[in-house]
Amino acid sequence: MACCSMVAAGSAKAALQVAEVLEAIVSRCVGPEGRQVLCTKPTGEVLLSRDGGRLLEVLHLEHPIARMIVACVSSHLKKTGDGAKTFIIYLCHLLRGLHAITDREKNSLISENIQTHGRHWKNCCQWKFLSQALLTFQTQILDCIMDQYLSRHFLSIFSLSDKERTLCRGSLELLLEAYFCGKVGRNNHKFISKLMCDYFFKCTTYKSETSVFELVDDYFVELNVGVTGLPVSDSRILAGLVLHRDFSVYCPADGDIRTVIVTGTVQPVFSTTGSELILNSEAQFQTSQFWILERTKAIMKHLQSQNVKLLLSSVKQPDSVIYYAGLNGISVVECLSSQEVSLLQRIIGLSPFVIPQASSQCEISNAALVKFCKPLFLRSKRYVHLGLISTCAFVPHCIVFCGPVQGLIQQHEDALHGAFKMLRQLFEDLDLNYVTQISDQNDTSRPVIYGDSKESNQLPETGNGSIQRPHQDTIGKNKNELENTQTCIPCSTPKLTSADTLQTDETLRCLSSEKDRIVDDYEPLLESNSTTNSITENTRIEIYENLQVTKVAGRGSMLPVRYKLYKMCTSQSYCSSSMPAGCVLPVGGNFEILLHYYLLNYAKKCQPSEARVSVIIANALLGIPKILYKPRKGIYSFPQIYIRTLRALKTSQPMVSSQTGLESVIGKYQLLTSVLQCLTKILTIDLVISVKRQPHKAYDQDSEDEL
Amino acid sequence: MSRFEAKKPSLCTSEPLMSEGVRATLSVLKGIVTSCYGPSGRLKQLHNGLGGYVCTSSQSSALLHHLSVTHPVLKILTTSVQNHVSCFSDCGLFTAILCCNLIENVQRIALTPTTVISLNKHLLSLCTSYLKSEACGCRIPVDFSRTQVLLCLVRSILTSKPACMLTRKEIDHISALILQAFLLTIPENINDHIILGTSIIVPLKGQRVVDSTVLPGILIEVSEVQLTRLLPAKKSGALKVAVFCTTLSGDVSDTGEGTVVVSYGISLENAVLDQLINLGRQLVSDHIDLVLCQKVIHPSLKQFLSVHRVIAIDRIGVTLMAPLSKVTGAQPIGSLGSISPSSYGNVKDLCTAKFGSKHFFHLIPNEATICSLLLCNRNDTIWDELKLTCQTALHVLQLTIKEPWVLLGGGCTETHLAAYIRHKTHNEPESILKDGEYTQTELLLIAEAFCRALESVAGSLEHDGGEILTDMKYGHFWSVQADAPSVVNWPDLFSQCGCGLYNSQEEFSWSFLRSTHHPFVPQTCLPHEAVGSASNLTVDCLTAKLSGLQAAVETASLILDLSYVIEDKN
Repeated sequence: MACCSMVAAGSAKAALQVAEVLEAIVSRCVGPEGRQVLCTKPTGEVLLSRDGGRLLEVLHLEHPIARMIVACVSSHLKKTGDGAKTFIIYLCHLLRGLHAITDREKNSLISENIQTHGRHWKNCCQWKFLSQALLTFQTQILDCIMDQYLSRHFLSIFSLSDKERTLCRGSLELLLEAYFCGKVGRNNHKFISKLMCDYFFKCTTYKSETSVFELVDDYFVELNVGVTGLPVSDSRILAGLVLHRDFSVYCPADGDIRTVIVTGTVQPVFSTTGSELILNSEAQFQTSQFWILERTKAIMKHLQSQNVKLLLSSVKQPDSVIYYAGLNGISVVECLSSQEVSLLQRIIGLSPFVIPQASSQCEISNAALVKFCKPLFLRSKRYVHLGLISTCAFVPHCIVFCGPVQGLIQQHEDALHGAFKMLRQLFEDLDLNYVTQISDQNDTSRPVIYGDSKESNQLPETGNGSIQRPHQDTIGKNKNELENTQTCIPCSTPKLTSADTLQTDETLRCLSSEKDRIVDDYEPLLESNSTTNSITENTRIEIYENLQVTKVAGRGSMLPVRYKLYKMCTSQSYCSSSMPAGCVLPVGGNFEILLHYYLLNYAKKCQPSEARVSVIIANALLGIPKILYKPRKGIYSFPQIYIRTLRALKTSQPMVSSQTGLESVIGKYQLLTSVLQCLTKILTIDLVISVKRQPHKAYDQDSEDEL
Repeated sequence: MSRFEAKKPSLCTSEPLMSEGVRATLSVLKGIVTSCYGPSGRLKQLHNGLGGYVCTSSQSSALLHHLSVTHPVLKILTTSVQNHVSCFSDCGLFTAILCCNLIENVQRIALTPTTVISLNKHLLSLCTSYLKSEACGCRIPVDFSRTQVLLCLVRSILTSKPACMLTRKEIDHISALILQAFLLTIPENINDHIILGTSIIVPLKGQRVVDSTVLPGILIEVSEVQLTRLLPAKKSGALKVAVFCTTLSGDVSDTGEGTVVVSYGISLENAVLDQLINLGRQLVSDHIDLVLCQKVIHPSLKQFLSVHRVIAIDRIGVTLMAPLSKVTGAQPIGSLGSISPSSYGNVKDLCTAKFGSKHFFHLIPNEATICSLLLCNRNDTIWDELKLTCQTALHVLQLTIKEPWVLLGGGCTETHLAAYIRHKTHNEPESILKDGEYTQTELLLIAEAFCRALESVAGSLEHDGGEILTDMKYGHFWSVQADAPSVVNWPDLFSQCGCGLYNSQEEFSWSFLRSTHHPFVPQTCLPHEAVGSASNLTVDCLTAKLSGLQAAVETASLILDLSYVIEDKN
């Protein structure tokens, strides 16, 4: 029953067609000028989205290659939480590039007059080679270029001083603003990114980011509440935790409130599972009922005597429990979900209270303190608001999302969740599959691509030489910068010691006067007007500003740290490279243009067969900046920007970005590797076989196989 | 069982607002909401072709609830309005009309949606900051020591719902009742924060509207038979009350998950009934006079209680439980034994009352913030509309406590606001254009569209083909009857502006609402004496209107921002 349909030009052509259709949809949602898509569910709900992953998912694509692409995108999203739209655009441009090349080659092949069928298989062979070349590129060359060339342009969202990293609020704001630009509506992105930034700083304590990201990611649904019918600007952050239900009984209490969690009914059950209860008389029944009531009463009395004021239960409690709890001044919240219970356990480190079976009244050890517990009214719905005292790194806070329709609230929630995923990844170091070998003491490192396969040795010696040269440039430049920063230190250090309000103004003046050098230092913050504006707002930002000053001063020490790192490596023979946490680049296609430039440079110096892949990738990378600068005109149009950037790179001058905002390098890098993996997968397919059989039979077979 | 069928691919449409179909449906919706607006709005009869309930209304909540909207773009609009109404009760039609107008007006301008959205946001913040500022020329402070403004507010709401079919006298009666009911829910001893009580609306159909009344406490409807049976037991004076939330029906309660083996000849029902009678004995010995039960009371227990001169009323229902425990001070009892005496409550008195053909027990509290609004109407459909209107009015009064301001109604706020925006964008565009992202021409185009949208909302108040003018001093709304001769002096044709604050004695210069406008400075800061003297103003709730304005602009932005609609066809 299987029917083979041969795809004439392999799967690449089909993939290109599919990708172009998808590109047409996602490219309208990309970037700051992107617009919204309205999705309806079969249930009649409507959802607003600019999230690429969500769009691909709701399209319910039928084409097998399209489904493969969607699967690749969603597995990428699971890791990074960003980049679905860019994924499609990269992929489309790559396929277009490949297609152009093979078209050219096909024309030359036609003269050879091979049979059509034979040509198909020959084409497939070619695709296979290409896909291998792509794989080689992705696993080896890309990492090398990232480490050797691109890394010198990286900025960090941390200020590093004395091996301690501090997060700058300003840089985080820039990063988030750029992220939300592509995720939520144009009129809300500033507000949402500020909300996210506030939330982040309220939730984290010193040095606890990673564990907080993990927790927020896992319990995101429990940590926010949606309210429809109010304007978006009413969204806010609440200290403590909001449970999505009302009190069964509420007794107002002051001061710290002792809390217990129970996972079963407090009232003893009449008969337990698996047991048999034989009733011989009515009096027996009445006595047992009476005993149950008395026992419940006693337990609640006991809880009261232990000063417990709040009972959280994951199950529904009988009426009598609620009644006696109310009598004893204990508030009760019932039917907590298992997620909520585990979140509570993680935050306050409280294990469920086991109701003592024996009548001996023991001390309750597993009770936690809660600052307050009160009903919260949002719109006309009632919620329970708990002021938890955290025992872990996470400082409990909740976000109340408001919006005119549920679809918009959902979009904002998804965007925030994605942002946490993105940050979680950004805050971790990434090991590159590339090892630097330090050959001599002259600070010239000699890169060697390490691998078991012989292909890695194919990299010609000339290629190594070419890699060496720019690196020397870097070092020369580093030295330059060292001098620069040293001159910078005297003018900014005095401000560190003084702590009056005048200082910020002074700092600002200092910063603005040094703008040129700052750009040279790749100091991300100082270009931003937003930080400058916010300084006067409160003292907290001022503190950050101070930190930033430290950073300027410390910048001199930061770069040399890296510099020293290389020196240290000289004692060993190899040094495996990695991308440190917090690497960012300015938005607006900077990553793409840089990588494009270095890939072209690289391609010039290696064999034509290898160069081909690099050139295709380099050109495909430009797809994103082209779309981003599409609405711009004049000197901000894409060709102008492109030429200016390349000129700056050639003359080793600083690149000037027209936009404020930062984006995660790790995210971009991961995205590129995911796209290349997906492309490799597509190219290795030579035939699409559509099976016209009832899917359930296949399902049965599968399950038998598993058995 | 797993799902075998493959999912159908979704339908993806680009630029939904460009399609004729969507524009047509949008204008149909706009036609519906516009024609309903205001005191002279037309009524809509909504009914299912297959029979059943018929709804006659001009209120957005009733209309949108019954309309079934299929297109996703329209669904966004209607759900947004419904969400607004469920939060603020009032200004639903205003939101819907403004949103439709904004979408329609902006489509005529060839500007990118991003520009439109950002500039609309700026204009919105201009509006909200003006309406919240002290200089605002269209809002009045509410003086809670006098009922005048509050009464105007309630009366304006009642007048704007023509489907209630009230005469002038009836409007006065009902608005007085609503205000009285609201005042009864305010606690006497006010601490740092006020917890308002509730007014329970009790239906009494088949009576005249003027028979409606407000009573403090709770009315519980009972049948005549029950009444004659319970009446002999009634004592006068204070009563001790027990309120049960658990069932007293004598069911064998939950026996757990294990097996229960009952020997032959043993009846668990009897055992439970014994327990119930024991409970009755305890209640009697605790000198309880009144037993109220949310669920069912077993007839034997009822009989027992009645013998001991205890009044027992069951099937109260869950909605009355919270007001009951507030009125009586009793704690709902959830157990059949070991009742603590502290959970009993008391009432000042219990009387029987007969309104129309219905009999009620009236619980009179010692001191509580619960009252019952007995609402009468002869017609079922009109009663529904009247009830909805009363709820709106009560809610709006609550909102006014939080923000003690009202806005001028009758279209005056809209025209005044439009004049203000026009003036601001013409004379002080720098505040918006400081980013350098937009040109002044773009701003003026969008501002004109925005002001037109606001003015068309005001214009929707006129349904009889009359002419609408604004004065060039205050920017208020004046309407002229359709059949008026066109040559006479304008001021002779009308006596008052839309809100009733000004009369045409002053020398104004006039401008037609639909014609082109010259920007002028509308007079800000209301004179105090003007507010004090006017006794019959039309006013709107500030909170609801402000939020409606925000909802309308936000929703319009959302809809204008759509580039694709993906419909899941599964």
